[in-house]
Amino acid sequence: MTDRKQMSLLWFVPAAVLLAVIVAYPLLRTLLLSFVRKSLATGFRAEFAGFDNFIRLAFDSRFWQCLRTTAFFTVVSVLAEFLIGLVLALSATSLSKFRSFTRVIFLVPWTLPTAVIAVLWAWIFNDQFGVLNAVLLRIGVLHSPVIWLGQPGPAISAIIVADVWKTAPFVFLILLAGLQNIPRDLYEAIEVDGGGAWQQFRFVTWPHLLPFVFVAVIFRVVQAFAIFDLVWVMTGGGPGGATETVSIYTYQTYMRYLDFGYGGALAMATVVILAITAACLHRLLLAKYEQNL
Amino acid sequence: MLMEPDGTGIWHRLIDDFQAQHPNVQVQLIEGPPATNTREDMYATSFLSGSGSYDIVYGDVIWTPKFAAAGWLLDLTERLSASDRQDFLTADLNAGFYEGRLYRIPAFSDAGTLYYRKDLVGAPPETFDELERLSEAYKTADRWGFLWQGKQYEGLVTVFLEILWGYGGDWINADTREVLLDRPEALQALQFLTRTVGTISPPAVTTYIEEDTRNLFQNGRAVFLRNWPYVWTLMADSPMRTEGRVGVAPVVHASGRTRAATAGGWGFAVSKYTKDPDAAWQFVEFLTRPEQLRKVQSRMGRIPARKSLVPPEFLPILQSARLRPLIPEYAQASDILQRWLSAALTGRAQPEHALQQAARETRLLLGGSGS
Repeated sequence: MTDRKQMSLLWFVPAAVLLAVIVAYPLLRTLLLSFVRKSLATGFRAEFAGFDNFIRLAFDSRFWQCLRTTAFFTVVSVLAEFLIGLVLALSATSLSKFRSFTRVIFLVPWTLPTAVIAVLWAWIFNDQFGVLNAVLLRIGVLHSPVIWLGQPGPAISAIIVADVWKTAPFVFLILLAGLQNIPRDLYEAIEVDGGGAWQQFRFVTWPHLLPFVFVAVIFRVVQAFAIFDLVWVMTGGGPGGATETVSIYTYQTYMRYLDFGYGGALAMATVVILAITAACLHRLLLAKYEQNL
Repeated sequence: MLMEPDGTGIWHRLIDDFQAQHPNVQVQLIEGPPATNTREDMYATSFLSGSGSYDIVYGDVIWTPKFAAAGWLLDLTERLSASDRQDFLTADLNAGFYEGRLYRIPAFSDAGTLYYRKDLVGAPPETFDELERLSEAYKTADRWGFLWQGKQYEGLVTVFLEILWGYGGDWINADTREVLLDRPEALQALQFLTRTVGTISPPAVTTYIEEDTRNLFQNGRAVFLRNWPYVWTLMADSPMRTEGRVGVAPVVHASGRTRAATAGGWGFAVSKYTKDPDAAWQFVEFLTRPEQLRKVQSRMGRIPARKSLVPPEFLPILQSARLRPLIPEYAQASDILQRWLSAALTGRAQPEHALQQAARETRLLLGGSGS
């Protein structure tokens, strides 16, 4: 082994230790947990259960409902955040004055703690005292107050609005960095060839932005799929479980039902779904970019 | 001790009284959030971490099996005196037992109660048929027949159980852990409840909790109301009660069957992690004495779980009350039932399908086979 190789291994040690402690160990523990029965009924002793927890998962209508809710939330909110973030980033790049000022303003929602934002939006959507109902009633769009957080459709929409408001700035920040990386002469080349704004976006901006799109989307998908605090504070998963996400169900299973084995199975299901999603996104966005290089 | 917000200040007064008698014992009351579930989770989190944050548990009737099975509570069997054992209501005392040992001392009792409009129907109905018939007969454009709690929450389970028991069925046999939800009696019960929505009960009944229904009833908007004894206290000054237009009756049942109201209530338990079990017990014993319970009764309208203190009109109701299954997995089983009941009531599932699914999921939960 060469010195160089030895050195690189040495440099890898801190990262490996960190990953082992905060990723590998919890993941392994959860994996083991998902194959045992460990709950109140067993007196918190672990009994080997084979695939029982996963069989129960397959027939658990509540899990499937949570999964549908979570998937819907993830797709809609990430799509909206991405489009808004992209438009914001494109317009901020073309800005010639007040650049840093606008950037700071755009980033404010992202810097606030989620629990604070959740309380804030819960008050905006409050049926009795909320500002949204007050405005809509005054301009005549509504005739009677809407109970936003008390009905399934409006409640999930309210959570999506709050999430988009908070995290579109994150997408904006990543894409803005990407846009600044694109060499200016490429745009000039398109202009020489007689291409307009759309051609510039289509043939220069978008292909060069793909790695950044991947980073932004993957971060957002993972975070959105694991959404907990926003839902917990705004609706608690209600009304009637209509906004219950997989992570809320997992929390309830661990902390309220004290069913650690099944909680482990729920957590593993989340890991598997996210791993597959990440692999698909990688293929869709990044592999294509790497081919073009 | 963690409990609900002390709106009336009565609990602080009782603690002051206790400390005057026991200057060497320090009692600290922590006012938790009003939501019962949240307080249950707060206790569980504290116990899971093995810490002695709370010495005394002020707990709902359905928490005992879970907390006792988890080994978080002290065995109080030997500490309760024989005379107290006699005086406490049977269902309330039984609710404190888990595997033959006593873990919780009852304080306040609750049971499903039927309120009816004396000025309209005269005598209260005995059976489901009579209830439906009288509701149809006396409902008008702005008066519904029968109000109950139909939102997806624990209250819905208590309503459904009374009807299920009234038809002779059962939910879970706590001893054999057998699930009985796909029996014909359960289907009859759910069909009855589904039938009332939009006919004798308002369509929005599927979103109501106790207070929604009490407000409607108190304003003369219904003939019958299924609720808890607290309504009677709150209506004390309302013209409805003072003019004798409202009566209290036990819940109804199917003809040829017996009635059973769902038992509820609050009591005190002692944490296993307490550093001073004797002082903790002294305090529990003090709070559950008749004098203290009577003080809370007069300030908050709660009904003491002692036979000697129960108002006469509620004694038959509380004595015929039945407990929800005393199983450690209660919270989970209840959530399954709530979801499927709500699905059937809001038309998202056929009653038969809903009950079969609920039965299957409950069996998987309790460790049986899914079929």
